[in-house]
Amino acid sequence: MSEEPSTLADIPGLLRIENAGKEELTAHCMELTHAVYPHHQVYGRYCTIHEYVDCPPEQVYDYLRQGHHLEEWTCSLRDFAPSGTPGLWVGHDRLENDTRIYCEVVANPAAMTVDYHCAWDQGEKLWMIYLMRVVPARLVLGEQGSVITWTNCRHPHYDANPYPEKAPRPDRPWVGDYWDLFYAGHTLEMNNLKAILEHRHRNGLPLGVAPARPVTR
Amino acid sequence: MTAVSLVDVASYLPGEPVPAEFYTEYPAAEDKLRDHPMFKVPPSRHHVAADETNADMVERAVQPLIERHGREEIRGVDVLLVHSQLPDLPFVGAGTEVARRLGLNPEWLVDVANAGCASFVYMLKLARQILTTTDAKTALICNAQSAAGQWFTQSQVRRLAQAAIPGDGCGVGYVTTSSDAPILDVETRHIGEYAGEMTVAADDGRKYWEPGQSQLRIGFSDASVAKVLARGNRLVPEVVTDLCRRLGVATTDIDTLITNQPNRTFLRNWREALRLPGERHPNTFDEYGNLFGAAIPITLDRALSSRRIEDGNLVVLAGFAHAGDFAGAAAVRWRGTRG
Repeated sequence: MSEEPSTLADIPGLLRIENAGKEELTAHCMELTHAVYPHHQVYGRYCTIHEYVDCPPEQVYDYLRQGHHLEEWTCSLRDFAPSGTPGLWVGHDRLENDTRIYCEVVANPAAMTVDYHCAWDQGEKLWMIYLMRVVPARLVLGEQGSVITWTNCRHPHYDANPYPEKAPRPDRPWVGDYWDLFYAGHTLEMNNLKAILEHRHRNGLPLGVAPARPVTR
Repeated sequence: MTAVSLVDVASYLPGEPVPAEFYTEYPAAEDKLRDHPMFKVPPSRHHVAADETNADMVERAVQPLIERHGREEIRGVDVLLVHSQLPDLPFVGAGTEVARRLGLNPEWLVDVANAGCASFVYMLKLARQILTTTDAKTALICNAQSAAGQWFTQSQVRRLAQAAIPGDGCGVGYVTTSSDAPILDVETRHIGEYAGEMTVAADDGRKYWEPGQSQLRIGFSDASVAKVLARGNRLVPEVVTDLCRRLGVATTDIDTLITNQPNRTFLRNWREALRLPGERHPNTFDEYGNLFGAAIPITLDRALSSRRIEDGNLVVLAGFAHAGDFAGAAAVRWRGTRG
């Protein structure tokens, strides 16, 4: 028996020019437009920030895809070294004492996306994912340089540590306790990233640095 | 510096309430937008009678002031400021006619034709300046709005979603050199960048005074409505915030905020932006619709009549005009003189 194809008319709640009309669409948009938005509404489930960096996009991408540079521009990720699993690095998140952070970089040169798949305390399930994308500013802002976007999604593990037994001590605060500060914390880190890239690019210096603990390939 | 006070306000609403059905059940009425806050039809509004002028409304609105303060005191005002929409005559405002009706002989008379829906705020500033720097001791400021029952009841305009929103009415304020209910400060901005973006629209492009069949209405493209929303969202909270900063108070210290009321969306957005609960932002939108410039004095009068404002309260009056060409806010430390 062949499935009848779904038609859009069967789907409730669609707002399209065919069924709503221009004025109704506009009115809907007006209703959704407020003067201010509460923090939790904007940054409650997703935290997206963005920044302009005066540095060529290919070079920005190249800097980001090398995970050891996290030691330069993040506030608290340090001492990365190979974990023994290919592609997986382990370092310290100095946000909390004795806290290990595992990280794998998943990068796509064509799209210039760099995703850091991370987790505290263990490297088997990397659920804490930082999604970054470099966009040529020429395309979107009509000027040289790059636009960087950075999104985190509130995985349920932020709200409850899935492996409490792996914590260095029972009273160690959990990374998800900081979720409400992610907008602020990530903004600080984005500012670091911008400052490093712009300084080196402006002064004709190499953008990247060698890893402190080189991995034998 | 001489203290200048807004000591009293009064208002007048013409005729009987006109129900929403006057518009919604009109043949060929646009009904797609009725459920949206931007165009949601107020249940009721008032319309001027066919032969009722702005001066008629001001005369009626001033009567409670005469009753409360005495005919001679009101007749003796040194300053008369009048804002009226629609003007009854294209070449002169209603001010001198108001003076004639009420038997006034003001040294200062200005027909204010700018500052639209926030003109009460601007006239407060003008009155305060004149009372502070001259021998003038008292001022009467008047906002008459008569567009709803004239423009928006025309046969072709009445079916438009925009027609059901406005309402007519008149609000007046009495300002004196005293410290009864001092005007603490006024913040105003004329924004030339946004001038002229609200237009009179006629489908055949004729000038408003040229003969023709087309019916005049307020001109708005979708794009400009979106722009006006963005500007209004920003401007009113900005002027109120700047005013509060100068006064050294937080916006959350405002006991009563009274604004113009173009629609429910703006009322919601301004309240949210200034972090005020609904009960501290009274409005009369459901009863009287968008009263244009008359909204602020009428809503203030209603809030006082219903005892929503107590002595010592910080009252802020604020709004923006037209497509954003003016924004203003005034702060008054309220002390009632109504007894």
